[in-house]
Amino acid sequence: MTQDLSSLMDGELSADEAHRAIAACSASEEQKQTWYLYHCIGDALRGQSPRRVEMPGEVFESIRKEPTVLAPRRRNPATVTRIAMAAAASVATVGVVGWLGTQGGASVPADGALVAKGASAVQPVANMAPVVPPTAAPVAVTEDVSAYLAAHRQLPSPEQYRTVNNQRAATAR
Amino acid sequence: MTLAAAVRARRWVPALALGLACQSHAAGTGDGGAWLQRAVQASRNVSYAGTYVHTNGDRISTVRVTHVNANGEEHERIEALDGPPYEIVRRNDEMFCYFPDAKTVRLDRRVNARFFPSLFRASADVIAASYDVKLGKTERMLGYECQWLELEPRDNLRFRERLCSESGTGLVVRARTLNEASQVIEQYTFTDLKMGPQVARGDVKSIFEARVKQWITDSQPREEARGVDTGWVVNNPPPGFRKAAELRRTLPGRGQPVSQLIYSDGLASLSVFVEANPSPGRTAEASTEDGSTTFFVRPMGDQLVTVLGEVPLVAAQQVGRSVGHRP
Repeated sequence: MTQDLSSLMDGELSADEAHRAIAACSASEEQKQTWYLYHCIGDALRGQSPRRVEMPGEVFESIRKEPTVLAPRRRNPATVTRIAMAAAASVATVGVVGWLGTQGGASVPADGALVAKGASAVQPVANMAPVVPPTAAPVAVTEDVSAYLAAHRQLPSPEQYRTVNNQRAATAR
Repeated sequence: MTLAAAVRARRWVPALALGLACQSHAAGTGDGGAWLQRAVQASRNVSYAGTYVHTNGDRISTVRVTHVNANGEEHERIEALDGPPYEIVRRNDEMFCYFPDAKTVRLDRRVNARFFPSLFRASADVIAASYDVKLGKTERMLGYECQWLELEPRDNLRFRERLCSESGTGLVVRARTLNEASQVIEQYTFTDLKMGPQVARGDVKSIFEARVKQWITDSQPREEARGVDTGWVVNNPPPGFRKAAELRRTLPGRGQPVSQLIYSDGLASLSVFVEANPSPGRTAEASTEDGSTTFFVRPMGDQLVTVLGEVPLVAAQQVGRSVGHRP
């Protein structure tokens, strides 16, 4: 069913198929959540990520079980949307979304963390090659890539300063 | 002077300037080197104002830039037009970053920050040591006659660059970074541009200057930018990459400052970060690339080495794998 949702977002379904997919999605809370998540991922890939995404606990559970996630070496610009949607089919790519979504010079989300996983050997892969399966117990590692990017370019994120101010306000209280 | 004669005379001005530049430039770099030198100088000396679009990978941002050179001093104002508002005002290397939503001004000293069209970090000679500079086609752009410069890397440790230089001043009006498959992975392009006397000195003043007295001032970045001996060294940087700075930066979410070493070949740059490997620590290398930005992370004992820069993955790996203690 998630394939139908992905195809629906890609505009690949016929009118009848689209009606059926929409009806099925409307009737299922789980599919509504998946639909929402796909859009969040799509937005993030386009650099329009929401400040905060509410994700169900099982998403994080799935992330913990997934092997290390690697971004493609280079995507064909013509197939970006397609890849984005295909990527949405795997919750593990949330980590990649975090990274991709934090690159914009003008808007670097403060909470755009790269979530990479796995204690297995990691090799850079090209063109969305299959992810290397873990050979040992996976370990969750969270990296705030946006912080490195901001330090490299000396381009601090406005959200970071919002956070600082909130912390100061909290301390003052 | 007839109109036709005037037009002919105007056409000779760039050629004359080019001729003079060639005379003063080191032998062997040819016309490409002379044009590159003009572009480097123009980014500092020309006053300009415009809006540019920056595309890196799949992300697009729009920025308004105003740059004035007055009495030998550079003044620049950068305004982000997409996303949360912020403004950066620079006077030579002093940077003031204004965040109106947070009512905060961040004081910093320019280390690696470069905003289009001022993308150069070294002289044309230094850049030409790593890139073979050739002239490409001419093209009319934004109403200006322009000359494309092709910067072919001399190895696979940096990307190919194409710069479009306005013929009259040398200012770069469009820049493209290409990968090994000749795909454009990053692009800057002006959408409107004015140059010279049309740009007023007052245009580079912060629009928030009057309100800033009520704001919070964060001067820590400026203190950190002074630089320190971190004790770390990159033993095998790619040829042409020289260390531009070495400092400790406070990054969000970390209890201790992170060591940062910045390297550049005059055009591309990369940062090396060294910090304590968090617990539970990373145990394997990982990397990702998007647009021209490459991220490579490598555990090194109880330390974590992270390389981030506008370089191919092979260069980031070479750098990251050669980090060690300074002897």
